[in-house]
Amino acid sequence: MKLKKFLTLTRAGIIESLQFRLGTLVIVAGNLLYLIIVYFLWKAIYASAGTDVVNGMTFSDTLIYLVLATALFQFMEMYIVWEMGRGIQSGKIVLDLLKPMPYRRFMFWSYSGTFVTQFFFTFLPTFIVVAVVTHGAIHLGLNLLFFVISVMMAVSINYSIDFLVGTICLYTESIWGINIMKQVVVMLLSGATIPVAFFPEPLKTIAGYLPFCSIYNAPLSVLLESDPQPQTLLTTLGIQLFWCIAMAAISNLFWRVSLRQITVNGG
Amino acid sequence: MKRKTPGFYLRIYAKILAQDLKSKMSYRADFIISTIGMICTNIAGFISFWILFRNFPSVAGWNYYEMLFLYGFSLVSLTPVQCFFDNNWSLRSYVYSGDFIKYCFRPINLFFYYQSEVFDIKGLGQFAFGIGTIAYAWSKLGLGFTPLMLLKLMIFLFSASLIMIALQNAAAATCFWIQNSFYVLDLVTRFKDYAKYPVTIFSPVFRFLFTFVMPIAFIAYYPSIVILRPQEVPLLSWLSPVIALVFFFCSYKFWMYGATRYSGTGS
Repeated sequence: MKLKKFLTLTRAGIIESLQFRLGTLVIVAGNLLYLIIVYFLWKAIYASAGTDVVNGMTFSDTLIYLVLATALFQFMEMYIVWEMGRGIQSGKIVLDLLKPMPYRRFMFWSYSGTFVTQFFFTFLPTFIVVAVVTHGAIHLGLNLLFFVISVMMAVSINYSIDFLVGTICLYTESIWGINIMKQVVVMLLSGATIPVAFFPEPLKTIAGYLPFCSIYNAPLSVLLESDPQPQTLLTTLGIQLFWCIAMAAISNLFWRVSLRQITVNGG
Repeated sequence: MKRKTPGFYLRIYAKILAQDLKSKMSYRADFIISTIGMICTNIAGFISFWILFRNFPSVAGWNYYEMLFLYGFSLVSLTPVQCFFDNNWSLRSYVYSGDFIKYCFRPINLFFYYQSEVFDIKGLGQFAFGIGTIAYAWSKLGLGFTPLMLLKLMIFLFSASLIMIALQNAAAATCFWIQNSFYVLDLVTRFKDYAKYPVTIFSPVFRFLFTFVMPIAFIAYYPSIVILRPQEVPLLSWLSPVIALVFFFCSYKFWMYGATRYSGTGS
């Protein structure tokens, strides 16, 4: 009966996010305009480059990569740091801590409903549009399955990082600064703003050793590779699995240690 | 009643500013972390710019240093909106909770009083960063230096910043009609990141859109041409101070119209 408990939270999340239909509409419109800018910018860049392939990526590769990175960002952004930070500042966190479910799990599952709505309203439409517009530049085969597995792990890593950063708010009581630092680091080093293939050498290697690549670069490269070598595929997914477990363990541990020192202004 | 001169408003602003700084200083850790976060944002922005254009000698006929100039220009012109109008971000929650009503009862201009309440000192780092970038690009391009050019630079920086202020005011004011204006504000904020690219990379339709509907081209492109390519300045560049004033005035009226419609929450 454990699952039922979680799915109730998911259902509540779906209903909650459907309340803000106008917000969703604005997000879709915003993404569309953003995609237009990205399209023209990279078109100009490729036109000036003189060659069709830059750093092993064609124009349509880059476009698919960046468009889906945005869609993934929209899908995965959970605003957990804000949620936790505000909970700490207002004292509401005490009520959540008293719930008969570990806080870490509660936060995840109460957000999970939004995953469902985001998937159907932003990710899937974007994916279909991109697949149609680029005339089958996305290979539709077994790689879709690996992509789904990869995204699931990415969601978990992203959540662990968010939770870890949110826990820091227990100490600093500063939300904005902490959150912006996290966002900047994740967006840059995960390849969400510029594909990792474009990075110059030392930076590329450094990014490879950090968990952030596993959030955006890993799922997208799995998807874009039409004829994957079993070895590269296994390496990518293996690294993701490693970070998945490692980050979950670290964030859990840090949370447990930090919980002892929580101070809350009366509720 | 005594007429309120600009001097009167200036004195009031200084008083409110002093209080705001005092209250900020009492949360020293938050202040320091936020400042570091802001610096991180600027550095990351610069790194992604560098990664992108390191690969290509020029984009749409604009060389690296010219692009750098546009980048620095956009940073400086986006500083005032960060420093003086940051309270727009809180407007939504003031309106939602009903606290906004307190601003309506003061015998001074509502818009002035609301915006004066917060001065965001973090923006100053961006200002220094932007000035440095402009100076570096300026010397690399060998543009020469005359007092007239400096005057032009200052006038056009000022008018460019008015455009962004106008955009943000209008976006924030939407919360008087829709509950969650965060998305609109977030959207506008994301667009300012694209102000640093020359508008010539877009197709004519979007060039029109970004000039007259969503005037991000006035944040860096049109005003920078005056300095960068004095022999081919389009009429729109010379008109940009006027356009900026018109946009600002409209956004002010829109904001005030929303505020007078505000009926409180009854508490």
